[in-house]
Amino acid sequence: MKIILALDDDNGMMFNKRRQSQDIEVRKKIAEITAGKRLWMNGYSGRQFRDMEMDLCIEEDFLGRAEQGDYCFVEDRGILEAVEKIEELIIFRWNRRYPSDLHLDFLPREKGFVCTGMEEFPGHSHDKITMEVWRREK
Amino acid sequence: MKRLQKLLVLFMMGILLAGCGSSGEDESAAQEYSEEAELPVQADDGEAKKSASADGGEAETALSAEEDDPAGGERSRARQAAGEEETKEAEEITYIDVPVYSGKAYAEINGNVPYFNDAELSTESYETYAELDDLGRCGPCMASVGQDIMPTKEREGIGEVKPTGWHTVKYEGVVDGNYLYNRCHLLGYQLTGENANRQNLITGTRYMNVEGMLPFENMVADYVKETGNHVMYRVTPLFDGNNLVADGVLMEARSVEDGGEDILFNVFCYNVQPGVSIDYATGESSLDPATAAQAEGKSRSAQQEQNARGSQTQQSQPDSVQASQPQPDASQSQAQAPPEQVQQPEQVQASQIQPEQPSQQTSPSAGAAYAVNAKNGKIHIVGACPATGTSSKAMNEPVYFGTYEEAEAYSMGIAPNESKRQCGNCW
Repeated sequence: MKIILALDDDNGMMFNKRRQSQDIEVRKKIAEITAGKRLWMNGYSGRQFRDMEMDLCIEEDFLGRAEQGDYCFVEDRGILEAVEKIEELIIFRWNRRYPSDLHLDFLPREKGFVCTGMEEFPGHSHDKITMEVWRREK
Repeated sequence: MKRLQKLLVLFMMGILLAGCGSSGEDESAAQEYSEEAELPVQADDGEAKKSASADGGEAETALSAEEDDPAGGERSRARQAAGEEETKEAEEITYIDVPVYSGKAYAEINGNVPYFNDAELSTESYETYAELDDLGRCGPCMASVGQDIMPTKEREGIGEVKPTGWHTVKYEGVVDGNYLYNRCHLLGYQLTGENANRQNLITGTRYMNVEGMLPFENMVADYVKETGNHVMYRVTPLFDGNNLVADGVLMEARSVEDGGEDILFNVFCYNVQPGVSIDYATGESSLDPATAAQAEGKSRSAQQEQNARGSQTQQSQPDSVQASQPQPDASQSQAQAPPEQVQQPEQVQASQIQPEQPSQQTSPSAGAAYAVNAKNGKIHIVGACPATGTSSKAMNEPVYFGTYEEAEAYSMGIAPNESKRQCGNCW
């Protein structure tokens, strides 16, 4: 499966059970990347996409259900337990510091991932968002 | 765990809002230190008006109250004119337990649930700033942050404001940016565009500003920009007794239109600086004994190393922990410097608070990690590309910084609308 995350400068994901930030340009990019593929997420994340015409797979245990080649948008949980199933990581970086009490629970490089691509684009409310693509080192 | 108990007194009062009227009443109160458990804050149906102080010691503490007069002297844009005809007053006292600082820049309070009452939540933007108390100290600042009150222009100088307890003091190598104190906006400029308002500026450590307050401010600002919604936001400085420097600030926020679904927090940010001891009564400071001993050890080691080498060079003070505290006269002189001298940092730094002087350097030092091209604001990693070298491709006007945040803030002052701020070669 392919994991999609959004992180701040401290690899933070959430604070007080709430996402750190959001941006419509990130959602558009996710729609573009996952077009024609299955995109899994839970109900909390699904509400962020309610105004977008996307075919989402909403399940609370989506990480357990996703199959090879599927995309998973993860906001509120660690993914270390599923790391062996991960084929690719797509990380959107806010290039900002927010408070955080939930972080990405591993460093991609230490789990055998290498950054194979990077793209910067302006967000709606963020000056610059960086999209990184990490794949397993061959 | 030992806990520091803070006393938070809330004065909730309805204000005469018909037309442009306001109550303009002064409130004052004195409360004694109490070991009582936390008291709930009750909602009041008038417009909120708060006053706070803190007591963490054994002695009795007199609390001052601040007048909240939105129509007089305080900015209040797009106020929610509810049209109440009567002035009502209610007083609530709550005690908040603040853990003793243990290495984290902030502590969550009341389960991260702010103390707002329903009447304070507004889908129309406004901002209020408490009057200074008898000692000249700030009180609570509150806003319903919306896009219509966010800044549209670069921040101007705030160097002329000297908050209570202000000292210009440097701890090179100990404090990020060297200067211990910054003028700390209670309502950050990025939220309400408030500039040199002395009712909104306190003496805060660099650490409290950057590590404590700024991330929360960023989160609120970006949410409002993204959604167009409002965030109820209040920052209350908590002073112990008659201290001139606050122990910290209580930051509360709740997104309004979505009922706190996206933004909800209540945190106390510690006004501390690791490695430095602060006398909160006066703002005087000194290196922590451990830090000073470490510095002395480093200095001794360096001296021994030099002696071993038989170096003729004169031993200099170690940069890492050297504190340079101006003599009283010098401090006074600096404090009264012309605005153009003290405003320089405000022109180059976009973060919420500013040091008296910039931490930028025009020549690289051992701690310089980033260099900004003063012509176009492009940020470089020192040593990562020819722009920071000595060849013909090197920048003509590099300005060096120890941290990326400082470099970015400087860059934003030069090129505020630049979307690609980082050098493509370095990153």
